[in-house]
Amino acid sequence: MTVKVEVKEGGMPHNQILATGLIGSLVGIYITYLNNILGTDLLAFFGGIAATLALYWGSHTIKRLASYGIGTGVPSAGMIAFGSGVIGFLFATRFAIGGGILVPIIAVIAAAVIGAVAGVMANTILKMHIPVMVSALIEMSIVGALTLMGLSALVTGSFTFDALVTSRISFFGMELTTYESSLIGGSIIAVLFLLGGIAIQHPFNACLGPSWEQDRMLMLALECGFLSMIPAAVISFAFISMAAATISFVVAIVGWFYTYYRYIELARRDAAFWLDAKPIKEPEAGH
Amino acid sequence: MVVLETLGIMVILIALIGIIIGGVLIGFGVHFVPVGGAPAAMGQAPGIATGVAMLAAGAGLAGLFGGAWAAELGLLVALAAGAVGGGLMMAITQLMVNIIYIFGMGIPVASGKVAKDPITGDTQTEFKSQGTEGHGLPFVSYAGGVIGGMLGGLGGTLIYVMLLDVYLDALPLIYSTNKEAIYLVAVSLAGIFAVGMFLVNAVLAAYNITGTIEGPHDPKFKRFPRDIVASAIATAVTGIFALGLVLV
Amino acid sequence: MVDQIVFGIGITALAGALATVAGAAEDTESDIGSQGDPNSQVQLAPQMGYIHRIFNKAIAGEPPAYGLWVALGAGVAWALMAMQVNAVLAIILGSALAVFVQGIYATTAYLGRIASLAKFGQPVYIDIIKSMTTVTMAHAFVAVFTTVTVCYLINVALGHPFPLPLLGLVWGIALGAAGSATGNPFYGKERQYQSQKFGAGVPIAASGNIVRYAEAGERNSLDNGWFSSKLGGPASGVCFGLIVFFELWRTVIFEEIANGWGAVIVGILVILIFAVIDRYIEIWARKTYGPYGKPEEAA
Repeated sequence: MTVKVEVKEGGMPHNQILATGLIGSLVGIYITYLNNILGTDLLAFFGGIAATLALYWGSHTIKRLASYGIGTGVPSAGMIAFGSGVIGFLFATRFAIGGGILVPIIAVIAAAVIGAVAGVMANTILKMHIPVMVSALIEMSIVGALTLMGLSALVTGSFTFDALVTSRISFFGMELTTYESSLIGGSIIAVLFLLGGIAIQHPFNACLGPSWEQDRMLMLALECGFLSMIPAAVISFAFISMAAATISFVVAIVGWFYTYYRYIELARRDAAFWLDAKPIKEPEAGH
Repeated sequence: MVVLETLGIMVILIALIGIIIGGVLIGFGVHFVPVGGAPAAMGQAPGIATGVAMLAAGAGLAGLFGGAWAAELGLLVALAAGAVGGGLMMAITQLMVNIIYIFGMGIPVASGKVAKDPITGDTQTEFKSQGTEGHGLPFVSYAGGVIGGMLGGLGGTLIYVMLLDVYLDALPLIYSTNKEAIYLVAVSLAGIFAVGMFLVNAVLAAYNITGTIEGPHDPKFKRFPRDIVASAIATAVTGIFALGLVLV
Repeated sequence: MVDQIVFGIGITALAGALATVAGAAEDTESDIGSQGDPNSQVQLAPQMGYIHRIFNKAIAGEPPAYGLWVALGAGVAWALMAMQVNAVLAIILGSALAVFVQGIYATTAYLGRIASLAKFGQPVYIDIIKSMTTVTMAHAFVAVFTTVTVCYLINVALGHPFPLPLLGLVWGIALGAAGSATGNPFYGKERQYQSQKFGAGVPIAASGNIVRYAEAGERNSLDNGWFSSKLGGPASGVCFGLIVFFELWRTVIFEEIANGWGAVIVGILVILIFAVIDRYIEIWARKTYGPYGKPEEAA
């Protein structure tokens, strides 16, 4: 006997969350694009905001999909999201026209195609017949691609393939381009993959139960996003200027602290009792 | 376009076919791995007490580790090394699972789905404790797990080697540099794509068996043909994007 | 040549030993937090009317969660090394940051799961978070630090082509898979259902009726860590240690033979040996423990 995932509808409609996540995330990524034009990397932290908003959306999509009881755990949904998202994302980064202005759009389209194929396979050939399966896998795959793009922009200040496979080191005053200490050459992409892969499914996985509340789960999604930003910002010290990485780090810490605090408040609001060092409170007879 | 002209369309097509075969092997392999999920952790159902996709990924990636290490020795050795790596991980893990059931909890192993173990012929039902569907890993499940790990390791390594070969030829052309300089980029790209495709196929296979399976003797195993179709199509699409990365 | 092989054997043995420590710490950590599949019972108990004081640290599946902690430790260590920080310090700092993330995930998982059980009157016990999160973080640090070190040895001393973070992903997921497969049943059956009959699986009807009171006072997850560190933890450690050791050993020593086929053949032999041991203990258990009932007549 295992725990049944209960269906409970929240206040905010899913489409509104989808729009907030998709548009907010794209806007954040395009703000990091301004780095190219302004010749700076100080805007890198907007990549982290973009990733956080994408995860906010993705967590609610997972909730919608998991309500149908897909037979396997919530974590696997996060894994398929990022497994397909990483392919769409890296494919798109190669479109370097105009400094990569098309990259985010192409990433969304490529990820949507991969997610759609996986969803159609699951529904038709694997005979799952879950109404939201195709749309959910499309959404999660896009979330995966946008989260990875946001975090990559946070770490390197850019999201084009060239920026992800090269890094500049100064060697006795000379600027050298190397490949092995880049985001992809050093496999930092593997870290970002799992940071996102856990963060997307944790909000629902941690909040499931009969007293699930939408605002609490979404607050946790934001918390997971900012929490993922912290190590990404630390890693970014190896890639971008000290000032830019410090800004990312401070934004991540402040955002994380605020959302964590708010999440604890919401948990306190929803909990049956909030006790410190008290014995087991047996339910009253005949409840 | 330089890349496509230099490498030739045949090289890309062969790589794509290799990737599709790899994806199918992963999906097929997952059906062999005995996974009991939550009930297995209480000795209520046979199998390994963790999620399908995750266990398959653990074994498959251990195989990928072995295969990637042997990649420079040639395709066949790399594939064999990958298969053995995945099989070894499952062989050790499953032995320890049975040791815990037998010596830690004093429970003999028993299948819930068949009356007799198809390999050893041992009868199962009388060793099933009351109120459970069986527990532990009967030998047929053990053998299935090893085969599943081998197929997963083989498939993951095949995807990795196919992508690595293409990237090692293509990336130096794109960046006008030599193979050594860009080697780690090619390794990382092939590695993360292999992981990504592995997870997509493992989760699709997990959907196909609705989360748990006892091994090749489980009636759910017969559903594998439809997963092979789904795996082949999903891997083909992801493979086109992964190879398209160096072609655009 | 001989020097190189001796060096390789030394690194292999060290990696295997570190992996053994990692596996033991990993399983103890996950049992203290009720992570992984036994968690379903901690989640179910209040629904059945059994209010408890057990930590409910539901973070993903164990394998991807450990994939993240180890990859994160490895990634931060890699970045620090790229900034010319000494390797030992880099690995320690990377593991520390990964464990910080793990600890935060642990608290949000407990608060979220318990708050969502409000309907059944399960209270949030704040002292559980205060006293147990730190203990799981300490165990997680041991597991992450040793596994990142194994990855570093594999990369630097044995020359595996994968960069450190990718090795972290692979071995982190393998660590979680080995630990959750081996250690979870021991905690899930033997500890959570200590009141049930020994030598039999938990009847499905008993689900959710986990043991909630200890020898003195009320059981909490630290008691569970104490229990599973007796067998579940060490067995998981042996499991992960053997995996790492044999994967490295067969390659380091036998790869030179027959252009790589030596390592493959030795690997197959090792698999067969483990299969024979498994079959032997299976038969031993059938003979020693005897059947629960009569065999079903063939229809």
